[in-house]
Amino acid sequence: MGTLLGCLAWTVGLVGAWIAFAPAHLNHPSHVPTSPPHETHAAASVIRGRVSFAQPLPAAEARPNVGELGMPRGRDAADRRRAIVYLEEAPRGAFEDLAGARARINQVNEQFVPRVLAITTGTTVDFPNSDRIYHNVFSLSKPRTFDLGRYAAGMSRAVRFDRPGIVRVFCDIHSHMSAWILVFNHPFFATTDADGRFAIPNVPAGSYSLAVWHETLPGETRRISVPETGSPIEVDFTLGR
Amino acid sequence: MRACVSILFALATAMLAPRSVAAQSWPDGPVVLELGGAGRLVLGAEASVAVGEHDELAFFNYTDYEHNSLRMVRLALSARWQPAKRIAILGDLRSENFETPTPYALYVRIHPMDNVPLDIQAGRIPPVFGRFARQVYAAQNPLIGYPLAYQYLTSLRADAIPATPADLIRMRGRGWLADYPIGNTQEAQGLPVISAFRFDTGVQARYAPGRFDVAASVTVGTLSNPRVGDDNGGRQLAMRAGVRPIPGLIAGVSLARGAWLSDGVLPPAGDGDAEYRQQAVGIDAEYSRDRWLVRGEMIRSTWTLPSITSVLTARTGFVEGRVRVHPRMFVAGRLDQLDFSRLTGDGADQTWDAPVTRVEGGGGWYFRRYLVGKIAVQHNWRDGGRVRERTFVSAQLLYWF
Repeated sequence: MGTLLGCLAWTVGLVGAWIAFAPAHLNHPSHVPTSPPHETHAAASVIRGRVSFAQPLPAAEARPNVGELGMPRGRDAADRRRAIVYLEEAPRGAFEDLAGARARINQVNEQFVPRVLAITTGTTVDFPNSDRIYHNVFSLSKPRTFDLGRYAAGMSRAVRFDRPGIVRVFCDIHSHMSAWILVFNHPFFATTDADGRFAIPNVPAGSYSLAVWHETLPGETRRISVPETGSPIEVDFTLGR
Repeated sequence: MRACVSILFALATAMLAPRSVAAQSWPDGPVVLELGGAGRLVLGAEASVAVGEHDELAFFNYTDYEHNSLRMVRLALSARWQPAKRIAILGDLRSENFETPTPYALYVRIHPMDNVPLDIQAGRIPPVFGRFARQVYAAQNPLIGYPLAYQYLTSLRADAIPATPADLIRMRGRGWLADYPIGNTQEAQGLPVISAFRFDTGVQARYAPGRFDVAASVTVGTLSNPRVGDDNGGRQLAMRAGVRPIPGLIAGVSLARGAWLSDGVLPPAGDGDAEYRQQAVGIDAEYSRDRWLVRGEMIRSTWTLPSITSVLTARTGFVEGRVRVHPRMFVAGRLDQLDFSRLTGDGADQTWDAPVTRVEGGGGWYFRRYLVGKIAVQHNWRDGGRVRERTFVSAQLLYWF
């Protein structure tokens, strides 16, 4: 009887955990929207503003490992304040000239720097190892699955991203290391700075959905209109309310 | 009662998980609770389910008389509470096959000086000897089975001993349930060379400047028989010195010596001052490059007994490798051997326990970063016991955060 109850408890627990993950998974965009534009043809404008947080962001910590013989080496604290602000509906013509660019995510003090990167399709991202230890960058995300293997300090390996979507990057050796790459097939996005400010330049006049993405908090979307006068648009977001 | 505790344990794990999920599809890592002026509490968990064939005849993979490592459900909750910058308290609570959770580890960690790479740990602490026993999570094991040195039950017991060499030889290949005339005469499982399933209790220090590290510990149990409470008044001294000469290569040498027999089997007088010891020496190495990882250990352990003049020796070693053939898939293999010294008894000259050779191969598939499925085939040969050769196929599903 006790074993039966135990089995039942474990089943409930594991299924509960599974169910708990599922809705969050469905909320998470599996690709960046690229629906047809709604713009009129006029002067370009800039969309700017600030993303703030209603509550303190949870710290990123390494999993407790009782097999270690001492305090882990000093690691840099992960910067989880960055958010990505982007147009869900890109203006017509935005997809035509996405030349292969180059970006970089460094590996320093057992952290990916930056932790969040936004790029356009066709961009190649370099992953230099600036630590004295091995790292092994890999991703299991559908838009780009890759494994760069283990490589030492001073070495760098690169990956080209050709499909839009969200790519989660990990280190196979250090499970506390992770990064996010958002791949867009248009250039109308921006990463917030340390103060949460962002600016998306050269947006043609029109009506758009402006969205914000954050790694731990639910995103938000606002409907905005960029005027033909070319005057800047101010949009502020507060996440985690 | 047992069921109630299991229920609470399982529900606690399920309830913890969503807190770390937030807006993501899967947990980003452990649960972090800010405790205001009391520091930070970090919680992690691991659940693994291994299914395989029954083995109630050969007991090749048993960790005691009731637990088969190839047929086991295990749930672990681990925690790190850091009330101050230089102090942390770590604990790990485990349940196997729905049994009442037990503390696997519980110790305080102190980093006394900022600029000195010295750490001190006290409590139920990880072993400093070798490497495999500190790979305490299933995710760190590329296969499902364990190396023989850390799991296979020899016929030696700390609470019961043979009166003659013949008594010991009679138990060859019966480490899963051995009985002897001195001490506890009830049948019980024997001891592995080194236990990977229990932590010892004591204090340890590690000094790790640059590419070198040295760790030493004083504990109440031994490698074979880690204990919470002392049962013989003796202490085990263990140490390991390691080096990282080039990136990707780690090598170390380990030594341990400690009183292993419980007071209940020691001679009552005269010879009572003698200490019967387990002594061990080991070397370990790991090399990784690109998508390859290779590691191995060699260990020589000896035990002394009051009733047998010969020193009992076990020699064991394994080498294992893993290669990631696809971002989601890896293959792995391990070659493993456990051998014993010869002993004379009953007119026979043979090893005091039955030597075992094990080969295991398999692979794994990452469904998610923290969700892995493994499958493995393991073959065992044993020079003794009622079953001398056996193949096992097993599968394991593993999730952690």
